[in-house]
Amino acid sequence: MNEVLHNLIYQLQYHKEDPILLNSGFFLYFFVIFMGCYLAAANNKRARVMIYSLFSLYFFYKACGAYVGLVILSAVVDFSLSNWIYRTENKAKKAALMTISVVANLGMLFYFKYTDFFIGMMNDLHLGHFNLLHLMLPIGISFYTFENLSYTIDVYRGEIEPVRDFMDYVFFLSFFPKLMMGPIVRAADFIPQISQPYRLTKEDVGKGMYLIISGLFKKMVISDFINQNYVQYIFDDPSKHVGLECLLGVYAYALVIYCDFSGYSDMALGIARWTGFKIPPNFDSPYQSATITEFWRRWHISLSSWLRDYLYIPLGGNRRGKVRQYVNLALTMLIGGFWHGASWNFIFWGGLHGTALAVDKVRITFLKKQQIVLKGFWAGFWKVTGILITFNFVCFCWIFFKASTFHDSWTIIHQIVYDFEPNVLGTLYDGYKPVFWVMGLAFVLHFLPKTSETWMARRFERMPVAASIAVMAMFLWFIVQVKATQPMMPIYLQF
Amino acid sequence: MSENNKFAYPFLIVAGTLGCLIGLSCVQNSFSLKDFTSRRVDLLADLRVKPQPGQPGTDAANASLAGPDGSDAPGDPSSTPGTIDSTPTSPADSTAMPHPTQDFETYTGIVDDWKTATAVNNVSPGISHFMDALRELKAGKRKKVRIAYFGDSMIEGDLITEDLRDSLQVYFGGEGVGFVPVTSVVASFRTTINHTFSKDWTDYHYKNLPGGNLPLGISGHTFLPSSGSWVKYSPVKKPRLNRFEEVNLFFGPGSGAVTANDRAYTLHGGDAVNTVALQPDSSNGLMLKFNGANPPLYGVSFESPEGVFVDNFSFRGISGIELGRLSRDMLQHLQQEHPYDLIVLQYGANILWKPELTDYSWYERPMTKVLDSLRSDFAQTSFLLISTADKSYRHDDKYVTAPGVPALLKVQHEMAEAHQAAFWNLYRSMGGNGSMTQWVEAEHPLANKDYTHFNRQGAARVGALLYKALLNEYHEDEKQ
Repeated sequence: MNEVLHNLIYQLQYHKEDPILLNSGFFLYFFVIFMGCYLAAANNKRARVMIYSLFSLYFFYKACGAYVGLVILSAVVDFSLSNWIYRTENKAKKAALMTISVVANLGMLFYFKYTDFFIGMMNDLHLGHFNLLHLMLPIGISFYTFENLSYTIDVYRGEIEPVRDFMDYVFFLSFFPKLMMGPIVRAADFIPQISQPYRLTKEDVGKGMYLIISGLFKKMVISDFINQNYVQYIFDDPSKHVGLECLLGVYAYALVIYCDFSGYSDMALGIARWTGFKIPPNFDSPYQSATITEFWRRWHISLSSWLRDYLYIPLGGNRRGKVRQYVNLALTMLIGGFWHGASWNFIFWGGLHGTALAVDKVRITFLKKQQIVLKGFWAGFWKVTGILITFNFVCFCWIFFKASTFHDSWTIIHQIVYDFEPNVLGTLYDGYKPVFWVMGLAFVLHFLPKTSETWMARRFERMPVAASIAVMAMFLWFIVQVKATQPMMPIYLQF
Repeated sequence: MSENNKFAYPFLIVAGTLGCLIGLSCVQNSFSLKDFTSRRVDLLADLRVKPQPGQPGTDAANASLAGPDGSDAPGDPSSTPGTIDSTPTSPADSTAMPHPTQDFETYTGIVDDWKTATAVNNVSPGISHFMDALRELKAGKRKKVRIAYFGDSMIEGDLITEDLRDSLQVYFGGEGVGFVPVTSVVASFRTTINHTFSKDWTDYHYKNLPGGNLPLGISGHTFLPSSGSWVKYSPVKKPRLNRFEEVNLFFGPGSGAVTANDRAYTLHGGDAVNTVALQPDSSNGLMLKFNGANPPLYGVSFESPEGVFVDNFSFRGISGIELGRLSRDMLQHLQQEHPYDLIVLQYGANILWKPELTDYSWYERPMTKVLDSLRSDFAQTSFLLISTADKSYRHDDKYVTAPGVPALLKVQHEMAEAHQAAFWNLYRSMGGNGSMTQWVEAEHPLANKDYTHFNRQGAARVGALLYKALLNEYHEDEKQ
């Protein structure tokens, strides 16, 4: 009995090698207990907020230990500053306070995320020799610092009134579903929902369940499976693989990153929905995009819209002439790339996308000027061609995003260009049959029309509770089976 | 609370689901259907009192794994006529007994139990000959010491050998990358020489055997050019690899011609191995052009007039048994033209294609024959057998050392003992049980996520460990 208790205490503590995730077994227990408490407090706003915040902060602790303090600290700072800004009449003082908030948030983000990158750069340029800090990156820091920024800037612009109750702000910032992988939630969307009574319609229940199940499916069945059994082998050591393997590896990675990221976002949206909060979707079948401009309206929407509202438009957007607009675009995308991680790869990735967006702007302007509107066959033809070109360009950019070094990126490209070896297709298919079938399934699902999602959500909506339990339990059993499959070993093709 | 408010539903759904799964966890819920065995769902696993860790069982769904390099179970090439001559008398049959000085399972240096042994059947025991050769080189009494390093994909692209070679050359002298085959699947990956070639070469090798009496070269390949085939080698900007000094082309029986940097050479030889010295253009490298009708070609070696040289003979997906396909005639001629003082054999990855298999007699039988014949073909050469590296597989959601690893290691050590060869325990040297998992999951990974292959950084570390072990042995002998 003592040992069981000891194990229980161990489970409840934070362990660096085993942080909590929305798809970990521990989370199921956490979620049931949380939902029970939350339900008990359903009719009292303050109690609801307290319980949600406490569970969120505990979730934070299970995810990154003592760094939970950073969330509370930044909540204190931004809550105070925003109220101060709101009360201040003097324009210059308002701006100064807003600047303090920006510097504090970006400073924190930079300290934890980018210090080593810049130290490394200074060392490389022989501007001195400094030791790297080797800080662990606090989970979610890229998301909640951006949430703080948008909130304070909105208050400064007079677009929203600041939150009066400190607990409400802590709740907004620490809201656990979006903690790890976003989306970046706007205070303006979220805070009004706090005061709403906790009510769920059948539609909310069905939609939430659909989002949770499809998110788990995307993450565990598609993304993790393809990644573990194929993609990681290719990117680990591209030179050991022929061009065809590398190309399929890049296409597979396109699925892995999308299903991982959007699957996680879907789970966040589903859990939020079940607890009475609607968060705007973060992805909208991005690989269906026919242009790169469209892609960025469908990919990581909460980030691209954030960058648009708080970076691109303040830089002058398209209001300062053509040249400035292209510069602003490129700059926004470079910074957007850098936001993903402290390395040149991400900056380069952002640069590629920025360039492509600028080129696409030229195309759009040209079509507008010539008043060209495509109809019928040509409209369809250009749409399909556009989808193919856009997808392949995005995949080309993923090479730099995923490869650990530029050298690896060039190796992959080199293999695809000079060492394609299409004759190995049969052997490759035999070696990784399940992977290619899952990939095929993922692409089919991705190109299904929206109505299929609504249809599925509607099925869940109409189920009685007992049936929902059965479906959920069977689905989780299935996930365990997928997770436990022996990894397929790489086949190093040569002959 | 109104009728339409369904806010209790989510709680009921998740609580009900958890209840079902906990209920399921309390009973043995795994089942088998044909060749699918379901995984037991156990939500209470983290709370249970853990049994004492024992040997991993075999309750994991154990799909039959293909060989990691896509190889089938290796056959027994010695049954192929004409590859291995009748088994010679080998040290294995001798009555010479080893004198164990170190426990091979824990010792991370070179295990050489033959220091005091006398040669039987004229076969040089242990690693002494190689150490003596190094000492003579250091003392200026001989010009060259050469190592042939055989392995599988673990040493592809000059991994491990590039670091070993470099360290040895720094200490004992010498420049040059050693032997490079005519074409190679990992040419673009190799960073110790720039190597490009035309696409029209015919490559015969262990898995695509040449017909007739065309011999395989030492690297396991034999190349035939088409008209217009070319191969280009150029030095890289690294110390000891940045110029070509002594360049030799190795070819089989027959006659033909080659132009090297526009200078014509006649190729003519009746032996299984013939060489022609080429004049390199030391900075721009070497462009070889062939016109089709030519003797079979093996490769080119790059050395300096004096020093220590390491030839990397990697071949993807093999277990070592394939070396039995190298003809005695070819090996003996090679030993006259291009003598080796040490032969290193590093295999294992492709023998461990079933992680839980612990009986390796199927490997030991044919490999023993191969070693017998290599030992008699290279009687005066020292032999070093390197054990398998650690290899992990997923067992109960964790990556653990495959039970096959320690089992194979014992067999490899037995084979070294039976052939009076030195032995190096790579598994132990990289950290023993669980080390591959650590190497893969380290912050700066040293191995790939197939839990089998080292990456470049890991290979550099292995090269350094091996160099250290060899150098310790070298200095150890000096003291005695």
